[in-house]
Amino acid sequence: MGLLQNVIFGLVTGSYIAIAAIGFTLIYGIVNMINFAYGEYLTIGAFVGLLTAVTLPLPLPVAVLVAMVGGGVASLVLARLFFTPINHTGPVPMLLTSIGLGIALRNLIRLAAGRNARYFDTETATFRLSGVPDVPVGPFDLLGDFFVTSEHLVVVGCAVAVFFLLHGLLTRTDVGIAMRAMGDDEDLARVRGVDTQWIRDSVWVLAGVLAGLAGVLIAIQTNVSAGTGYSHILQILAAAILGGAGSPYGAIAGSYIIGLVLSLSTAFLPGGMTELSSAMAFLILIVVLLVKPSGLAAQEVREA
Amino acid sequence: MSVADRLPLGDAAGNGALLLGGLCVLLAAVFALTPLVVSLPGSLYVFFEVGILFALYGVLVLGLDLQYGHTGLVNFGHVAFFAVGAYAVAMLSARDSFAGISLGLPWPVALIGGIVAAALLGAAVGATSIRLRDDFLAVATLATAEIVHSLFVSFEGIFGGNVGIGSIPQPVSDLAGDADTAMLATILLFGGVMLLTLAAVTRLTEAPYGRVLRAIRADELVTRSVGKSVITYKMQSFVYGAALAGLAGGLFALYTGAVAPGYFTIQVTVTVWIGMLLGGAANHRGVLAGLAVIMGLRLLSRFALGVTPISADAFASVRLVVVGLVLVAVIRYRPAGIWGDAEELGVDT
Repeated sequence: MGLLQNVIFGLVTGSYIAIAAIGFTLIYGIVNMINFAYGEYLTIGAFVGLLTAVTLPLPLPVAVLVAMVGGGVASLVLARLFFTPINHTGPVPMLLTSIGLGIALRNLIRLAAGRNARYFDTETATFRLSGVPDVPVGPFDLLGDFFVTSEHLVVVGCAVAVFFLLHGLLTRTDVGIAMRAMGDDEDLARVRGVDTQWIRDSVWVLAGVLAGLAGVLIAIQTNVSAGTGYSHILQILAAAILGGAGSPYGAIAGSYIIGLVLSLSTAFLPGGMTELSSAMAFLILIVVLLVKPSGLAAQEVREA
Repeated sequence: MSVADRLPLGDAAGNGALLLGGLCVLLAAVFALTPLVVSLPGSLYVFFEVGILFALYGVLVLGLDLQYGHTGLVNFGHVAFFAVGAYAVAMLSARDSFAGISLGLPWPVALIGGIVAAALLGAAVGATSIRLRDDFLAVATLATAEIVHSLFVSFEGIFGGNVGIGSIPQPVSDLAGDADTAMLATILLFGGVMLLTLAAVTRLTEAPYGRVLRAIRADELVTRSVGKSVITYKMQSFVYGAALAGLAGGLFALYTGAVAPGYFTIQVTVTVWIGMLLGGAANHRGVLAGLAVIMGLRLLSRFALGVTPISADAFASVRLVVVGLVLVAVIRYRPAGIWGDAEELGVDT
């Protein structure tokens, strides 16, 4: 497998990490919390998509949309139940709450779905009751040296669409501009007439929608199990911090760096050490915190 | 300031723990070294197993409380230091293990090696991350624990991969007459070690040294402005906590006779954190009591498993759902813990 192939895998991985990392970093920037349960929102989206596409069964684009709605609803409901009531207590109680919530959600999903990985397009998906939606698979050669699957194109295409829509949202709509204002200075935004609670809820919904999309894309690209979210959360976190926590554009850049590093490191690591490629993401995270704690875009994280 | 200056004679509680701890260790030695044997009813085994684990986690929670309760350092990778202590002891002391490195050194040497290894990791993590804002320190330490975990899994030639390292000497079992006596001696020994740790950290935190730590937690800027080197104190507190975790890990390895990555997951960190928050951070006996409540739940759930019709696998998930929600509930409804001082911790209740 050539280096170019790894670059393609890296871009695909970077794409779904980026979709998730934007949501994660918006929560960080506006609600001011590191949400460790966010990985579980991806899992929720993936299973909602899987249920829609495989159990009902509805066409794949519908399933993706339902997964996004499911992610958004779950995110808002969980925020209202668990995070909004303790908003005033500061970042550490919020972080610890999200860790507890993440463990609870992960195991609830495991109870409901079992331990095995589920796929959209193979016979191991026990969610399937009747016909499988048509996810066109099959690599088609471009240069003989590497391949691009239709799933790859779907993932990257969705990511690019998200980037454009997000940019439009943040620069052209009242909600988006209010979000940016709150990210800069919440008190100032409030005295200028921004309904901060409404904006916060919007951010939760938006982040959940993005998590749902990222989750269902991961499920289409590879598979999904109860542990999917947790296995991605540190990558998302690394991408968001690398890009400068709170900055959506930084998160996109950070995600592609993480994606490429993960993918290229598997090319150089000996077999049986694939676990180490995820350790690479955490190593990048620590190195970034050490060398340039503010990430690619600035926001103060050191205090001493 | 030397270590001796930081350790005044201590208060009544610290001395009580010291005496009781010493007594436990002596009793353990009696059971382990003399031909005296006991036989325990089989129904008590589960209490002894959980009790032994409680004593080890007790040492962990006391170290964590030094870091978080007193100094305000949010270490969410405590299991990493526990694991490094255990693995160092395993690698240094195991006799021709089936996997990984086994040097076959005497166990006391290995135990010291385990404590030193954990302390060194603590110093490394501290040097890189201790200046970070609270929530980012939590993230950095959690990532460290995940890295350590994946290193243990990945390097089979060194750490034995998923199989881990076996044939670690079990000094208590080797000395004691039979399995029941060994169990009683182990719980007495580890309980004694936990009480001695309690005495040591109580003395440390009752001393002026402890007041500096709590001042750092309360207001770092003010502490720095009165001329205390905040970073130095934070580093010391972090390394002490890591070394205690290394001690607990080393004892764990010498008790089980085998280590594997599966013993050292984030669940360990979560258990000690919940114990600490539930009991009330910065209150040494409180955190031990909180841990006892959580470990008691574990014991209850073992019995509940016997009478519920669901599978052990599903039951494990249910238990973790409860554990996660307990963490959420404690932070929301008892932010200072059951025995914690809300005013001193600076939390709203």
